[in-house]
Amino acid sequence: MRVRIAAAAIGLVFGITLCWSGMSSPDVIRGALLFEHSYLFLFFASAVGTAALGLALLRRRERRALLIDTPLVWTRDSPARGHIIGSLLFGIGWGVSDACPGPIATQIGQGIGWAVFTLVGTVAGVYLFLHRSLPETEPALDVKPGATPATRMAGG
Amino acid sequence: MLHHQLAWFVAGPVMGLCVVGCRALFNGRLGVTGGFSELVSKLSQGSFSFDWRGWFAIGIFAGGAVFLVLWGGPDFHGYGWMTRAFHGSGRIWIPILLLAAGGLIGFGAKLAGGCTSGNGLSGTAALSPASLAATATFFATAIVVSFLIKAVI
Repeated sequence: MRVRIAAAAIGLVFGITLCWSGMSSPDVIRGALLFEHSYLFLFFASAVGTAALGLALLRRRERRALLIDTPLVWTRDSPARGHIIGSLLFGIGWGVSDACPGPIATQIGQGIGWAVFTLVGTVAGVYLFLHRSLPETEPALDVKPGATPATRMAGG
Repeated sequence: MLHHQLAWFVAGPVMGLCVVGCRALFNGRLGVTGGFSELVSKLSQGSFSFDWRGWFAIGIFAGGAVFLVLWGGPDFHGYGWMTRAFHGSGRIWIPILLLAAGGLIGFGAKLAGGCTSGNGLSGTAALSPASLAATATFFATAIVVSFLIKAVI
């Protein structure tokens, strides 16, 4: 419960900051991607810099999480095909709509009507991805211990 | 209405502290796509018991609404290049393009394991090679797409 409240509070600060920094405006994003304004890059770099510094401090101290009893651990994954292909698709969507998931949410919150279409598209894309893998994973859950693939097919 | 953008050297560090906060408080990787995914997944099962990622996303929607109430609506009209390029019956292209772009954003971010926040902020700040590659890819792609659109319209 405390974790959910904390997450919602962080989301609230995140959303207000996105609005206040102008990220709800497609022209602000587009102006940056066309190298007309430096704001987004400075904003982004200082966000990454602050986060990197904070995470490095957390990692060095080997702390435990403050709200739940768990160590602060995270992985550094190697690039796979999905990271690149997914980011290519994502980049096309971002460049066309000049919005990404955070700004889509704040645009909706700010009552920008056009964003309903971007949100519906995003939800559909996420839904498609989640259900794309279901036919592969669902039958595996039905396998009883000791059952061979042949009996699974016969039974199912 | 706050007509001036919050200075980047304030706004950026606040976003960075959100990443640090998720990690320090509950060992979470801040990511908006993860939040969307949680909401879509639970709501499609008729459940409202979202984990922290879902509540983080709800907080962002609420952040937009709070900004609207306290400081007024957006200081722009229309929707970027689209409402400038398309007029009259040509405006039918705007919902089509936004739906398609949204589909690519949702599917692409899930496939890439994160979006501008999950890979771009949290992943690069953790110096994850996968996130660095993803971030370089989506920034480069979006820049190329923006220049292509500029050349066409």
